[in-house]
Amino acid sequence: MISKTAIDHLAEKLGRDNVLHEKEDLLTLGYDSTPGVHHLPEVVVYPTTTEQLIAAMEIAEREGLPLTPRGSGTGLSGGSVPVKGGMVLCLTRMNRILEIDEENLTATAEAGVVTLDLFNAVAAKGLFYPPDPGSQKISTLGGNVAENAGGLRGLKYGVTRDYVMALKGVLADRGLIATGGKSVKDVAGYGFKDLLVGSEGTLGIVTEITVKLIPPPQDKRTILAYFNDTRTAGEAVSRIIAAKIIPSTMEIMDRATINCVEDYVKIGLPRQMAALLLIEVDGHPAPVAEEAEGVRRILEQVKAAEIHVARDAAQAASLAAARRTALSALARVSPTTLLEDATVPRSRLAETFDEIERLTEKYRLKVGTFGHAGDGNLHPTVLCDERDHDEMERAHAFYNELYGQVLAWGGTVSGEHGIGLAKKEYLARQIGPGGVQVMKRIKQTFDPQGILNPGKIFDEGDPCTQAHVEEGFRVSH
Amino acid sequence: MSPTEPLGNFKVEDAPHYDDVLQCMRCGFCLPTCPTYALTGRERSSPRGRVALARAVAEKKLEFTPTIKEEAFFCLDCRACTSACPSGVRAGEVMEVCRSQAHAFYPLGKMGKAFREFILRKMVPSPELLETSMLPTRLYQRLGIQWLVRHLKVLKLGPEWMQKAEGMLPRLEKPLRPQLPEVVAARGEKRGRVGFFLGCVMTLMYPNVSRNTVRVLSHQGFDVVTPKDTKCCGAPHLSEGDRETARQLALFNLDLFLAQDVDYIVTDCAGCGAALKEYEELLEERAEHDKLARFRAKIRDISEFLAEVGLRTEGLREVRASVTYHEPCHLCHAQGISAQPRQIIRQIPGVELREMAEASWCCGSAATWGLKYAEDSRKVLDRKLDNARATGVDILVTANPGCHLQLAWGVREAGLSQEVLHLMELLGRALPPD
Ligand SMILES: Cc1cc2nc3c(=O)[nH]c(=O)nc-3n(C[C@H](O)[C@H](O)[C@H](O)COP(=O)(O)OP(=O)(O)OC[C@H]3O[C@@H](n4cnc5c(N)ncnc54)[C@H](O)[C@@H]3O)c2cc1C
Ligand code: SF4
Ligand code: SF4
Repeated sequence: MISKTAIDHLAEKLGRDNVLHEKEDLLTLGYDSTPGVHHLPEVVVYPTTTEQLIAAMEIAEREGLPLTPRGSGTGLSGGSVPVKGGMVLCLTRMNRILEIDEENLTATAEAGVVTLDLFNAVAAKGLFYPPDPGSQKISTLGGNVAENAGGLRGLKYGVTRDYVMALKGVLADRGLIATGGKSVKDVAGYGFKDLLVGSEGTLGIVTEITVKLIPPPQDKRTILAYFNDTRTAGEAVSRIIAAKIIPSTMEIMDRATINCVEDYVKIGLPRQMAALLLIEVDGHPAPVAEEAEGVRRILEQVKAAEIHVARDAAQAASLAAARRTALSALARVSPTTLLEDATVPRSRLAETFDEIERLTEKYRLKVGTFGHAGDGNLHPTVLCDERDHDEMERAHAFYNELYGQVLAWGGTVSGEHGIGLAKKEYLARQIGPGGVQVMKRIKQTFDPQGILNPGKIFDEGDPCTQAHVEEGFRVSH
Repeated sequence: MSPTEPLGNFKVEDAPHYDDVLQCMRCGFCLPTCPTYALTGRERSSPRGRVALARAVAEKKLEFTPTIKEEAFFCLDCRACTSACPSGVRAGEVMEVCRSQAHAFYPLGKMGKAFREFILRKMVPSPELLETSMLPTRLYQRLGIQWLVRHLKVLKLGPEWMQKAEGMLPRLEKPLRPQLPEVVAARGEKRGRVGFFLGCVMTLMYPNVSRNTVRVLSHQGFDVVTPKDTKCCGAPHLSEGDRETARQLALFNLDLFLAQDVDYIVTDCAGCGAALKEYEELLEERAEHDKLARFRAKIRDISEFLAEVGLRTEGLREVRASVTYHEPCHLCHAQGISAQPRQIIRQIPGVELREMAEASWCCGSAATWGLKYAEDSRKVLDRKLDNARATGVDILVTANPGCHLQLAWGVREAGLSQEVLHLMELLGRALPPD
């Protein structure tokens, strides 16, 4: 239990409103978007400056509290769940956009800035920040960096890592780190910046991020293709890539997803179709027209059931917005939505769909699949009920078998959501004990006491860091 | 069927459904649309947080603590989260149910209870009492304030709110209900017969709006039936967590309107419309399903109705004005009516519609919320006024009395030149003189 004096001390340094310790607050700051994981912190702080952050860390050390950084809690692997209690460091009140540098084409922002807010701010200056996770309207840049988030435009424009030029942050020993800069090239020493991107809050707390901006594409064409079976949709994707066309977006939704999304957005998506692909090509007008034509030819060759071109920008935007709601919309169907993040080499897409279908039947489950098809990144989502133990077991068996196959094809267990709590076992399977050992040694170097986001990415052989942590508690009044 | 087993730590009566709270997958999509989250940046004051609290009570991880009560009432019930949620979670409604739980857990003191009973159970339900007790007009103006002040006491508000309440009241005219004939005949080619649900706040505070609504309906070719016995729709009771009185009122109105020979039941108050459309759920166990479905099928907001039957524009006069439209939460979020009012505005000759930013963002009124949380309400209102001001239009149009009160007050306080009108007053200006 954190002492009353420590709370007062925190309040003194950070201000009363920035320190929360009532049970109702703790209860709502111990989850993220990952089903089945939840744990209470002892205190939550909202630093508004780096000095406040350091002050809070100092008090945490005195109290022996581990630290869990948190953005908006939209993570899908349990990264911001404080499995060991302690202090949650919520960065959402460090949310200033510090600079948009139109000469160097960079933007610098604090870690708590919401992804879409940065996008809009730079767009107002005629610039473009491409990474756009489905959660962009609420996810933070700090969370994006920590998870190396991808998005709908990943296929052509890459993921968060490809845009991070510099980071500032605080290490476990409260030392400041600044790595990278506005120079487009930098090979001075080890690439700390790259180590911090995707480190899920286990190596340091990111406070400030400088990202690369690019000029926005001048033209864009949005194509919607419907399919009678998912396999053909997978084939279309592989063929488009093989034809050396790189659309900015190539997203897939299967029938279950289409129906759930349509229930919410009501824009006339084809409920009876087995799958749809949302394809966007962008760039200079001439190549855009050419690529759109190329895409259309391939869609015709593979015999897509229907091919539509978006009327205007507004319709294109509503289609992309609809796609972004896929995961939440699937949650309509059942109380629990277990989603995975399997990623395969793109030539394997059609087979992956077959495998998902086969396993769905084998384990008698309801599965909705959507994802960044162009990246080979699929989110097969089991729609289940956490109260039904038998069903939950079948769901886990489903993923187990699917991941076996994905790894055999040279794929990965996580394309973009990270390992966190949810995928530790799978990571060990993917990189082997040697790989895990090296990661642990890196962690040791950065954080010898193990106070930063403990229990994430790899197991420390501690039973209370198992994936399904539900701490019950009672409060009386 | 009524549950007999309590859900977790909730009381049996009027508890949330477990499935409704489990439905939230915690994606956070609702966070940026929630006014109280924008104000506080505090997770427990967000839709995701509120549903998590309700879930914790349902799972016996938390008692129904005073903080949950506080959150239930701090929620504006603006339903912006319902519109934003792809999973179909209705956090606002869960909180509405929690308000009623709050009364069960934390009964009001004796005085508070007496006042509350007086206002919610006696005054509000019966239109005559409200109207006749408050005549003549001069007296009524003062009584109107007293009515509010009493209401404030019920809600445990101190005297500092009185000033705001007093400042908010429009200049009151005679209530409309006693003046309005029970049937007003259609003009021109007759298109049908509609029942008009005249809300209490409309008759008392905005008689001119509803007078125009009736004129419009008649001009559009509809006989307008306004049953004199209409009672309060029950919205204030739902919002204060008195579901039982709300049910009794609902049952009365249900029978009253089903007995009329009308094709539709139309209202010009977004709050009433939202409540009437929820009778089906509210009375689930108290009235026959078939009756509820028939009633529900007839309810229309006035703009929804006009858009559906098609506005007859022949003979409309030009209204030279630029306007912007503020969407009442109870219209756009609770009823999903967003395009229709704009469509009607665009059809009025001479009117130019300029969209404001964040048109569907709450104005901070939300029934008595604006009085309970005056400072927060002010911040929400300022955001709205800034957006309205930026459009530079002549008229700020809305479609709900709560918004109307709040906006008119805000505009006055801020010294803006914009006029605040209900959509029906604007349309009324285009009608040929009677
Ligand atoms: C509906 C939905 C759609 C999504 N779509 C995508 C998608 O298309 N692509 C994708 O990649 N992801 C997606 N995600 C996952 C998630 O939104 C991303 O991982 C996002 O980057 C998390 O940001 P956050 O601010 O919510 O971070 P949180 O969930 O709060 O935290 C995530 C991790 O980052 C750490 N962290 C947070 N801030 C900092 C900091 N300042 N310094 C150090 N560590 C920090 C936390 O400790 C945690 O480990 C989606 C999630 C949802 C719910
Ligand atoms: S209420 Fe809906 S939008 Fe909000 S977190 Fe839950 S599922 Fe997501
Ligand atoms: S109803 Fe409005 S105030 Fe209440 S939780 Fe939803 S968005 Fe927030």
